[in-house]
Amino acid sequence: MSLYDVIINKIKQIQDSDKEGGPVTNITASSTLAAEITLLSSILVVVIMLRYYSNALMVIAVLLVIGIIVFAMPIMPKLKKEQNDSLNSMIFYAILILGIITTLFYWGSLNV
Amino acid sequence: MNPLIPLMVIIPIACALILNLFHTKDRTVKIIAIIIAIILPSIPLFTNYGYHYFGGYAPLIENPALAQGLPVSITASALNVFHPAITYYFGSAQQIFMVVLGIIAFLAILTSLSETRKPSGVYAFLMFMGVASMSAIILTDDIFNLYVFFEIIAVTQVGIVVASKVKGNMETALKYMIIGSIASPLLLLGVALLLGVTGNVNITDIIYSIKTGLVNPQSPVLLMACGLIIFGWLYAAGLPPFHTIKSEIYSRALPHGAALLQAFSVFTLVAIGLIIIKIFAFFPFANVFIVGISVIAMILSITMALMQTDFKRIIGFLAVGELGYIGIGLGLGTAASITAGLFQAINEAIITAFLFIGFGTILYKTRESDIRKLGGIMVEMPKVTLLVLLSGLAMAGVPPLNAFQSKLMLIQSSLSAGVPELGIIMILLSIVTFMTFMKAFYAIYMRPKPSTLKIIDSNIPKATIFSLVVFLILCIILGLFPQIATSYLQPLANSLI
Repeated sequence: MSLYDVIINKIKQIQDSDKEGGPVTNITASSTLAAEITLLSSILVVVIMLRYYSNALMVIAVLLVIGIIVFAMPIMPKLKKEQNDSLNSMIFYAILILGIITTLFYWGSLNV
Repeated sequence: MNPLIPLMVIIPIACALILNLFHTKDRTVKIIAIIIAIILPSIPLFTNYGYHYFGGYAPLIENPALAQGLPVSITASALNVFHPAITYYFGSAQQIFMVVLGIIAFLAILTSLSETRKPSGVYAFLMFMGVASMSAIILTDDIFNLYVFFEIIAVTQVGIVVASKVKGNMETALKYMIIGSIASPLLLLGVALLLGVTGNVNITDIIYSIKTGLVNPQSPVLLMACGLIIFGWLYAAGLPPFHTIKSEIYSRALPHGAALLQAFSVFTLVAIGLIIIKIFAFFPFANVFIVGISVIAMILSITMALMQTDFKRIIGFLAVGELGYIGIGLGLGTAASITAGLFQAINEAIITAFLFIGFGTILYKTRESDIRKLGGIMVEMPKVTLLVLLSGLAMAGVPPLNAFQSKLMLIQSSLSAGVPELGIIMILLSIVTFMTFMKAFYAIYMRPKPSTLKIIDSNIPKATIFSLVVFLILCIILGLFPQIATSYLQPLANSLI
């Protein structure tokens, strides 16, 4: 089974469980693949920016991201499922980001 | 003192209240709304730059007659320069923002009145109230006054969605309010902490207190205030984690309403973003955070736009993604990048309104927004198709249209700032934006028409075509002569460095 088939099957599987309906068309498949490649390449470029803090940290992060890419692909259908219109998930992510901001700005800044 | 400065807020508020009273009088609503909508972009053109002190309470340093009778302990202290009342400032950057907001409001209101058979006084009230609040947010130098209008604009956004008869609008409006009930109090808490530490709500005075050492910049309470204000900013602008609800809000409003809502998001992002940069200039991590969250917004929103099948949602996500470019410009913190970011804000507000109203013609003709059920529209309305195509090219940054200039400036400023990775990400995501737009464009306009698709036999209103042509002219003018906008923005950017 080629990588393309693996990705298409995964999209079908996630789309079925999401009860979104509608067949997996060429447009859906190619959009998902394009989004997947965009996401991965953008994240890799973002991770390279860690070199401004530490080269070693950048190397570790790049290897980690490559590892995640290999084991978690395709990420985009899961990401779409996660970023749904459910109020619960929206509130969850709002609180999560609030926690991160509080940590970074309050405790994280005290010892800088 | 300049009496025209507060009029930019008072006129739309008064108009909103009058329109609400005349709700059932269709002709009166139309006439008043159009006259005031024409006046809106005109006032900033005739207003002189300067300050307006509400109640006439200028700082003591500008009022020697009052200062003469006061003890030296007051006139020799910081109290001499502090602003005792709410202050509005109108400079060149505010002028261009107000003109662009006025033009978008005028065209959105004109399109709304032409596309609806029975104009709603309540809907027009909400649009004008939103414009008034947005104007106040752009002009105010008082962070508490900003918060008050931030709340009003959040309520008017919910109102615009509720007043749009679109499937699922009530649920989305309720969700936006619930999420706002988390973010807004935290922004207020940030303002309260700032007041607690500095004893002031005037932004200029807060900056003065920090710069002159009246307040310890490393105070953890001040840093916490920065974090909370940034959290409120994320909600107002629709940056992650609020990008999903923001795009949903756009998709549940009528196209002309969505055109105005996205302009509110863009200008709020700029107004609060600039305040964060000004007040917390001593804290470089704030800038790093702004750049980081902007990059995340771009990646998440543009990839999510690719995955959508509803064209309103596609534009909604693209609009949120484009906000990231503005954030990068502001976060990089150089004069060139801030100018580029502000220019991108103006361009994005125009282009996204262009796209929403352009794609809105599909809804007008078919009542359908699912691209899987659409096709063959190019045959039905070739002229509008060309205008929509040009709006998409503008958003993607194709020369000679306006976003090309601002995106190029952003990429150049990222290279000058020594962060070429940001330039790479911006180029990559511009390409994907173009691809996303072309996917929707192909499915709607170029594919054969599905047999199940019913097209309503009515012409697109001339006012809608007029609006699209005006947006296109603005895109071309700003693309060919970017200095028209940047010359107004540079003084503000230079003052921040």
